[in-house]
Amino acid sequence: MHPAPSQVITEIRPDRGWLDLDLGAVWRYRELLGVLVMRDLQVLYKQALLGAGWAILQPVFAVIIFSIIFGYIVKMPSEGVPYPLFAFAGVLPWTYFAEAVRRSGTGLVTDAELVRKVYFPRLIMPLANVISPLVDFCIAFVVLLVLMAFYGIAPSWKILVIPPLMVVAALLALSIGLWLGPINVRFRDIKHTLPFLIQIWMYASPIVYPLSIVPREWQAIYALNPMVGVIEGFRWAVFDRGEPNFTALAMSGAIIVLLLAGGLVFFRRMERTFADVI
Amino acid sequence: MENFAISVRGLSKRYRRLLRSQRHDSLRDVIAAGIGDMFASKAARDERTKRNTFWALKDASFEIAPGENVGIIGLNGAGKSTLLKLLSRITVPTTGNIRIKGRLGALLEVGTGFHAELTGRENVFLYGSILGMTRKEVEAKFDAIVEFSEIREFIDTPVKRYSSGMYVRLAFAVAAHLDPDILLLDEVLAVGDFAFQRKCMNFAKQLQRKGATILFVSHNMFSIKTMCQRVIYLKKGQVVFDGPTAEGLKLYEADSRLADVPWFDEPEGGRRISFEDVQFLGKEGSEGAVFDFGERMTIRLRYKTKGRVERPDIRIGLDRDDDTHCMTFSTMTDGVPMPYLEGEGAIELTTPPIKLVSDLYTCNVVVRDADGHMLSGQIGGRFHVRHPDFSSTTFGVFHESGEWRVTADAPARLSEVKDRVG
Repeated sequence: MHPAPSQVITEIRPDRGWLDLDLGAVWRYRELLGVLVMRDLQVLYKQALLGAGWAILQPVFAVIIFSIIFGYIVKMPSEGVPYPLFAFAGVLPWTYFAEAVRRSGTGLVTDAELVRKVYFPRLIMPLANVISPLVDFCIAFVVLLVLMAFYGIAPSWKILVIPPLMVVAALLALSIGLWLGPINVRFRDIKHTLPFLIQIWMYASPIVYPLSIVPREWQAIYALNPMVGVIEGFRWAVFDRGEPNFTALAMSGAIIVLLLAGGLVFFRRMERTFADVI
Repeated sequence: MENFAISVRGLSKRYRRLLRSQRHDSLRDVIAAGIGDMFASKAARDERTKRNTFWALKDASFEIAPGENVGIIGLNGAGKSTLLKLLSRITVPTTGNIRIKGRLGALLEVGTGFHAELTGRENVFLYGSILGMTRKEVEAKFDAIVEFSEIREFIDTPVKRYSSGMYVRLAFAVAAHLDPDILLLDEVLAVGDFAFQRKCMNFAKQLQRKGATILFVSHNMFSIKTMCQRVIYLKKGQVVFDGPTAEGLKLYEADSRLADVPWFDEPEGGRRISFEDVQFLGKEGSEGAVFDFGERMTIRLRYKTKGRVERPDIRIGLDRDDDTHCMTFSTMTDGVPMPYLEGEGAIELTTPPIKLVSDLYTCNVVVRDADGHMLSGQIGGRFHVRHPDFSSTTFGVFHESGEWRVTADAPARLSEVKDRVG
């Protein structure tokens, strides 16, 4: 039950300071967050013939193509793991990340009607957008396990590191969405730029190739890409080979914290005018 | 503790005036404009800001006590929707503040947030939480909601297969069970068929009895009269009247009925005829603002002349809310003998059954002399035409049933076609 209504006073003012993030409101609206995630899932699979199969097909096709081009033709080294497996372990977190960025970057405009007509803490929107593709990830993850069984590789206890790694990926996607979402409300250019951005980013991440082939003198700059730590960590957790790359992970963490903090302030600043300009 | 439900102090909202072509501008344009600005003088920049912005609401202050029912009235663009948007927190004020005590439910447009692909049941939960209900609350009230909506057999059908009437029923049923302390209502009562509308009015009255505070925005003066003891009259973004309904409506009616149409220039020598009052009368001769599709309505105008107006052509035009000119009645084309008008009196026009689609209409009155010179042009009040299905978005301007015949080329397939038609 909510507290006796006569005591709750909502105050609406024009200005809130730069740091007044009001995350409490997001907590109060957590049920709406759940409902929006549910809606995304229901809608996504409602009219698709293959339903949840799409969650599997997308990464599987990507891996087949990569295996032919990079595994078979280019003969890319793959850290002692069969190339398809190596690629899958990179494509899996990447597919999630790309989808989460795409949705959180454009979600406000997709649901413009809601933004224009109903009040809710707008942060709910990008949050829901990065949570719902996690379900696809989980489905595709089962495929990875099956593939590992096929190649005779048993997962170790390190697989427990995957949930926190995915949280890192989700936070990164969220922080990107917090920057791109408000810009997309004002300038629809984002929608068209995003696919390129994501593609470039993918090739700048160790997905089709291992981190080890990046020249040593470039690795420090390379690790500025926060997805490097996530994907390397993911492979380490799944295949139990080598040492986790703590430098890359620490780098990811630091960059995400910066992006996220800035993104939150930026988003809160911009959300005041969403309904007026969307 | 002070005793208020809503307290508004010095509330203003400034909007940038954007042409449609300027909205969602591309980044390139903005950068170009920004560079242009850098070289412009400060005075020029200030001037541009002033030109490009307007106050949708300016320095509004009022207080509403718990349990009060207040109507917000005003012409289009007077700031009513802006006020509701501010109260429901959809947009942020430029200056001033609002304090709201208790749970506020806003019904600005029924069914916002419904998702076409989802079933009625799924949408009940979705819409419920969008309106601010908890899942538990929706679960507890689910049966009552479905009961209220009267569409139980379709509850597991995707709402994209619903008729617009069913859609609105379900949405309103959810909203009706929100149980807010304060309810913001915008025009929603003008939808649905008559029986369902009555149900909605009853619901509002029931809320009233429970002691809820209701803020009601409508063009329908009749429902304002029955629901509200007090009205706030907005004009060009400012509160020009705040007090008893009867008084406020009088002001509003005077303002809205006597305004000259923008394209009328007073002729040399002053205007010779003007209209003081417009009334819309229904079947039983009672005044109203809502008419059913197919009903005959009577428009009564009181005129006053200066001297004798020879052979006037009196034209009553009906414009839809989106400024589409829908039809005009003219004494000349209708062959009404009208040698002259002098002094004061009334003109009554009883329309044929109104076949205009369900929407809000403004009536205007124009008088021309025998040579076609315009003697007067006034905007003469508003009314709704009501029909559950014939809306302007799908049915255009008016609706009349046609005679249909369906044939098939091959005789063998005729039965199949018949089945489908049946």
